[in-house]
Amino acid sequence: MQGKVNCREASRLLSVAFERALDNGESEALQYHLGRCLMCRNFDSQLKFLRKASERFRSGGD
Amino acid sequence: MSDPRFAEIESHRPYLVRYALSQLRDGQLAEEAVQEALVAALESIGSFGGKSTLRTWLTSILRFKVIDLQRRAATERHHFESSDSTGDEEGWIEELFDETGHWRVAPQAWSDPEAALDQRRFWEAFEHCLDALPPAAGRVFFKREILGENTDAICKDERITASNCWVILHRARLGLRACLEKSCFGKGAADAG
Repeated sequence: MQGKVNCREASRLLSVAFERALDNGESEALQYHLGRCLMCRNFDSQLKFLRKASERFRSGGD
Repeated sequence: MSDPRFAEIESHRPYLVRYALSQLRDGQLAEEAVQEALVAALESIGSFGGKSTLRTWLTSILRFKVIDLQRRAATERHHFESSDSTGDEEGWIEELFDETGHWRVAPQAWSDPEAALDQRRFWEAFEHCLDALPPAAGRVFFKREILGENTDAICKDERITASNCWVILHRARLGLRACLEKSCFGKGAADAG
């Protein structure tokens, strides 16, 4: 993959990055997009939060 | 040549079909269960000691066949659902992104999500949002993120490919995030409770 990605594709890459390493092209395109898109940066940090919350949930939540 | 008990066993068929129908709610499966039970009964009629009625004895054989069929049917439904779950991929993604791939509803910045982890209200919303996911998405997300299983194990279990699994997880994460924003972190969510 090379060049630009839109928000839909960026969200897909952010999710896939939890499952496998992104290749260089994917990674560059994603970083370029994140640098210019606050919405996807929000999404990125929320995915990380989701993972943290899920781990907490497994051990009993509150 | 025919065993007189054959006719007697056969005479219970309508009752047995009714029993099977009540348990299986599927005419074809019910007939199948009864057929298997009657064949088994004829094979082991010698062991029928007459301590219970013939009908009771037949019903006890049928009950095992029913349980067996229920298990098989559940497995088939499960796999059908899994393989069916990615078929509407375009449909759900179009609800979230417009034709140029932009967010239809922009993800907002959440204020102090870490603090929410200590709030009961957050965990209620978390469970509610998990339940609101499509069944396959909820199941795969649960295995991946909450149980911490690896993708290979999940694929094998769900009988899906790795890329299907990633699509389902993408969908689950998008859905869960949007739901949590609406109920916990979005504008106006704080007023809701």
